[in-house]
Amino acid sequence: MKIKKPPVSDEIPTSSMADIAFLLIIYFMVTTTFAATRGLDFSLPPEDDTPPMVEKEEAVLIEIQSGGVFVVDQQTMQLSEILDYLKPKLERNPKKPVIIRPQPDAQYGYMVNVFDELRQAESKIGMKVDNISIPTQREIEMFWF
Amino acid sequence: MRLKARSVQNTGIPTASMADIAFLLIIFFMVTISFEVDKTSVTLPETNIRLEIPKQAAYVSITENGQIRVSSGEEISVPVPGPDEVLSFAAGVVQADPTKPFVLKADKEVPYQYVDGVVDSLKQAKAQVIYLLSMQDTVDDGGDGDESGG
Repeated sequence: MKIKKPPVSDEIPTSSMADIAFLLIIYFMVTTTFAATRGLDFSLPPEDDTPPMVEKEEAVLIEIQSGGVFVVDQQTMQLSEILDYLKPKLERNPKKPVIIRPQPDAQYGYMVNVFDELRQAESKIGMKVDNISIPTQREIEMFWF
Repeated sequence: MRLKARSVQNTGIPTASMADIAFLLIIFFMVTISFEVDKTSVTLPETNIRLEIPKQAAYVSITENGQIRVSSGEEISVPVPGPDEVLSFAAGVVQADPTKPFVLKADKEVPYQYVDGVVDSLKQAKAQVIYLLSMQDTVDDGGDGDESGG
């Protein structure tokens, strides 16, 4: 008796290809992290520059206290009021120095908020704040006392 | 007259293109994946101005409780005890590449004294530019988008 052989398929089996591909997708989805790659730039003075000598009285001093209290030239104000306060001073002197001085216990986020606000001066009040400095505690002790 | 038998309807779902779609998605993920040198979990401050940070920048991260980690941008970040070690790390990085940008990745709730120590170390190491890593500020209905007053 002749036994009939089952027909042999001449195609490459691709039914499991999608399973493999989806496994790879799941691997990449799980391992992918969306990295934050943007921020505020903060240029430091060149190495050979002598530290700019600024009289404390001539500059606008923005002190930041814990809890987000902003004291600008001894006046407490909201973040959104700082640029309005600065505008007439900048009109008189476009190079008016602005010093940001956060207290040691003030949260870092508030310093960034103030710096961001000053950097937006051009779009908000039409004038650029060119001279922003954030002295460190060591610099304050060296140059202010 | 003998009628021709109707063609048999295929009841299966066509899955031949499934693999193509899946491989397209794989290629997308492979292209967009980026390996972070610093995986420190922090809550970043929000800003409106956000500039693209150059690739291969050196990282200094500070967590909410003041723990510092550093990375030269080529390898995974390592913890350091304090700002003095940041100074020696940054001095080495600047010596190798004087124009190397530094990225400060600090938690927005960290007391400023920790950030002050790190910034001072970077200044002393003659770093030229520091990027303050931030998230996009969400603009509220008032339009100014600030969070003043705490």
